[in-house]
Amino acid sequence: MIVELGHYALVLALATALIVSILPMIGARRGDVALMTLGTTGSIALFLLVALSFGALTWAYVVSDFSVNNVWENSHSMMPLIYKYSGVWGNHEGSMMLWLLILTLFSALVAVFGRNLPETLKANVLGVQAWIASAFLFFILLTSNPFLRLNPAPAEGQDLNPVLQDLGLAVHPPLLYLGYVGFSVCFSFAVAALIEGRIDAAWARWVRPWTLAAWTFLTAGIAMGSYWAYYELGWGGWWFWDPVENASFMPWLAGTALLHSALVMEKREALKIWTVLLAIMTFSLSLLGTFLVRSGVLTSVHSFATDPTRGIFILCILALFIGGAFSLFAWRAPMLKAGGLFAPISREGGLVLNNLILTVATATVLTGTLYPLVLETLTGEKISVGAPFFNMTFGLLMLPLLIAVPFGPMLAWKRGDLLGALQRIYVFAALALAAGFVFAYLKGGGPILSIFGLALGFWGMFGAIADLWYRGNFGKLKFSVAFRRLAGLPRSAFGTAIAHFGLGVTVLGIFAATTFGTETVVDMKQGATVNAGGYQVTFDGMKDAAGPNYTEQRAHFTVREGGAVISDVWSSKRLYTARRMPTTEAGILTMALSQLYVSLGDPIDGGGMVVRIWWKPFILCIWGGALVMMFGGFVSLSDRRLRVGAPNRKAKAVKAAKPVMEPAE
Amino acid sequence: MMLWILLAFLTAAVAAALLIPLLRGNAIAAGEGHASGHAGDIEVYRDQLKEIERDREQGLIEAEQAEYARAEVGRRLLAAAALKDGEVQAGSTRRKHGLATAIVTILPPAIGLCLYIMLGSPGLPDQPLEARLAAPGNDIALLVTKAERHLAENPSDGAGWDLLGPIYMRMQRPGDAELAYRNAIRLIGPSAARLTGLGEALMTLSDGVITEDARTSFEAALKLEPDDTRARFYVALGLEQAGKAPEALAAFEDIAKNSPADAPWMPLLSQHIAKNGGAPLAAAAPENGSGAGRAPGGPSQEDVAAAENLSQGDRQQMIRGMVDSLAARLKEEPNNLDGWLRLVRSYAVLGEKDKAGEALNQGLVQFSADANGKSQLLALAGEVGLTAQVQNPAEGAKQ
Repeated sequence: MIVELGHYALVLALATALIVSILPMIGARRGDVALMTLGTTGSIALFLLVALSFGALTWAYVVSDFSVNNVWENSHSMMPLIYKYSGVWGNHEGSMMLWLLILTLFSALVAVFGRNLPETLKANVLGVQAWIASAFLFFILLTSNPFLRLNPAPAEGQDLNPVLQDLGLAVHPPLLYLGYVGFSVCFSFAVAALIEGRIDAAWARWVRPWTLAAWTFLTAGIAMGSYWAYYELGWGGWWFWDPVENASFMPWLAGTALLHSALVMEKREALKIWTVLLAIMTFSLSLLGTFLVRSGVLTSVHSFATDPTRGIFILCILALFIGGAFSLFAWRAPMLKAGGLFAPISREGGLVLNNLILTVATATVLTGTLYPLVLETLTGEKISVGAPFFNMTFGLLMLPLLIAVPFGPMLAWKRGDLLGALQRIYVFAALALAAGFVFAYLKGGGPILSIFGLALGFWGMFGAIADLWYRGNFGKLKFSVAFRRLAGLPRSAFGTAIAHFGLGVTVLGIFAATTFGTETVVDMKQGATVNAGGYQVTFDGMKDAAGPNYTEQRAHFTVREGGAVISDVWSSKRLYTARRMPTTEAGILTMALSQLYVSLGDPIDGGGMVVRIWWKPFILCIWGGALVMMFGGFVSLSDRRLRVGAPNRKAKAVKAAKPVMEPAE
Repeated sequence: MMLWILLAFLTAAVAAALLIPLLRGNAIAAGEGHASGHAGDIEVYRDQLKEIERDREQGLIEAEQAEYARAEVGRRLLAAAALKDGEVQAGSTRRKHGLATAIVTILPPAIGLCLYIMLGSPGLPDQPLEARLAAPGNDIALLVTKAERHLAENPSDGAGWDLLGPIYMRMQRPGDAELAYRNAIRLIGPSAARLTGLGEALMTLSDGVITEDARTSFEAALKLEPDDTRARFYVALGLEQAGKAPEALAAFEDIAKNSPADAPWMPLLSQHIAKNGGAPLAAAAPENGSGAGRAPGGPSQEDVAAAENLSQGDRQQMIRGMVDSLAARLKEEPNNLDGWLRLVRSYAVLGEKDKAGEALNQGLVQFSADANGKSQLLALAGEVGLTAQVQNPAEGAKQ
């Protein structure tokens, strides 16, 4: 009965979503408060219904109700409890339910906390959110219904895909979806503004925190996904430019651009139309990612089951929302009032540069991802666009952006002084370059380009410190005074510096791991020792073991440095009995920020195994940097003040003798 | 009944929640003026002015900068105020919401009931596994799950594993059967029945081919019980599959000599003797055996017993049956890559090249959009020596 109640709640949610997508918008056109308020109560009711439904599905998973087809296909009664919970979204139907749950949650949050929003704007935003919810409810109910039943019920489930039986499944999809779906709110705000034909000051106040929240979650979600793929798949890599990865990376790039342009809009009321366009683009890319992954166009661990009707359905949703939003933009955008003016060299100008590069980078990734698909559809020819393409194009594009990042926060609003910024920051640039050389020297040298890469990472980190240094004005004022100034800075200023610092950490990790990492592939017999990354790794032998729903062969390795034992590593090959599916569990030894990664290959004739050992120096910086960025996002998000960018005076008014003071965030 | 009451209650609650704003709407409209767009703007700009003042007091911006900022925000504030004055005060008129009320009252139950009756299974109760295990009734699958639970907690219960082995075989779960037999042998020692069972499981796993492992197992069974007819039959079958016809013939004839003349497996033996170049047994003409002349009225007690014996002797026949049912199942649910792979391999092992080729092509058509599936099918085709008539040449698919 609980399952059926959940199913009915989902159907009822569709009815509610349809009502909320029509009546409040009519109310907004007519100025009818009652109909507009319907959007608020309706959105809350919608969320409660979807939550009830999601709860019923979760309950079916936890008690192993195999009369529910979805549970039977993706669960097993002997699975540890945490995987029974996370298994709910470890499949196509359930992951769409999670998508919907987060979407309606965000609608409800806008409904509850949007009291200070203009009524019409709020009604329109909730209406657009309800359109998206309706489309996905139709999609779930008609093509991916998780509540379909089996009679008679089987006695045991078919188990969750072993690759997904990992803590990563509990973390990665919810974070990623919080990001993807968070951008739906920005999209709804953009479409609502286009429908109204004007952008309120409150619009900007609302879009930035939502963008920031979505961006923060998406950053964490992508980083967790990357780390999960790194340790679970046993390939030793952390990013493969796989289309599915790109599908999540494109909204992130566009979202990063949106984050920065929303900043300009909130503080300076400039770049309004561009922000609206970016908001539409970002969510469109999220939808496109969902389409690519869910429709079976791409084959990967994410594309659980393929079904052509689903693909066509998602394609229709995609055409409707993306096509509709862009048409609306083409029609209404000219009516929007363009915002304030600014000089090319200014904080705004820096952010425009950021936006330009990020948008072009997004387009590059989009091309590299879609080109093989389009080519195959048109000519049947199969090509694969791999890492070399992306490293050349995307990498080259990122270079000027990374160099420019520390300059941005140094420039004043409206009219900036590039020379002044250069004068102040060149010390830090020199420090970064020196740090790059010292780092490479300590690691035994490396190609000159990599040294500059390392310096680029340090540049990002030092630039962020320089930003805070000059805001506190440490060089000029007494330390205690400067410190008080620093402490008085708004939290969003710290958020910016922390996030930019994190970016530098990630860049440093990427260059360090690729320059100084080693890969060793050897046939090892019991007792054999091999040198990898300055460590001696001894293969001590294999042992059989069993887990709750798998059996495994574990290999034991002892790691020595200069003859002294420093640690040991278990690396194993598992066989999940229900699906008879093998997986590899890499043995990873973490030493500070570096990792020794031991992965088992196939057994070789005459006893022994093929063993792959990677030495990954500073690899944790890559994800650690992303976590720092996420932390920066939260710090900035906790700053709920109104934000005004005070413009700088005209250049001629600047007296040379007087130190230029930085405006506050 | 309880379910319907709950559904009705839920529907009513949603409709009521949506009706409240409509019923209270007039009161709100008459009572308070709501924040229109421009009024909201004015509020935001006022807050911004306060913020600039605070920044200046904390010394975060200079007085001059603050002045510029104040002037800028002030200009926006004036513009917004001018626009607001020009606005018509909306929402002050009383409105009727007849149509909206109707929609809100009718739509939830209408859509809810129509779609739910179409998609839902209102008659089906929840079936949590624990509750079902507490009262398993005659459901073999549930009893097996119970036994599995018991064995997961007491993995050294050899008798339990021994019991489960043959049941798994009958449920067509040879992989689990292999594990069960191996555990039983490890825990309570080998017996002819267990070793033969293990051999059968291994053979079924490799689609009817008597592998090295399976042969070793049958031979070990014969060491314990040299007269075990089943084990001897499989060893002979292994010789036949290895292409050693004279040895196979001798082995089959030896089994026939030591069996009673009316044993149910005689027709099968006769077939294999003939296949390996011997003279068919006089005692058992093939048409007596494999059930061609059986009445369709349903099996008698005797028939069942005979079939039981026969199936012990005649794995090949059983495999045929399994292959046919697999083919039939794939016709209904063609989206099963493993099934197609197994079907192609089975036909190839049975020596039916035409059917294997046919299955291969059907599989390729089914997975024409799936690069991974297609390449697996083509790899298998190469392995068993088939050439597919592929319609499109995109086989260099990457995994």
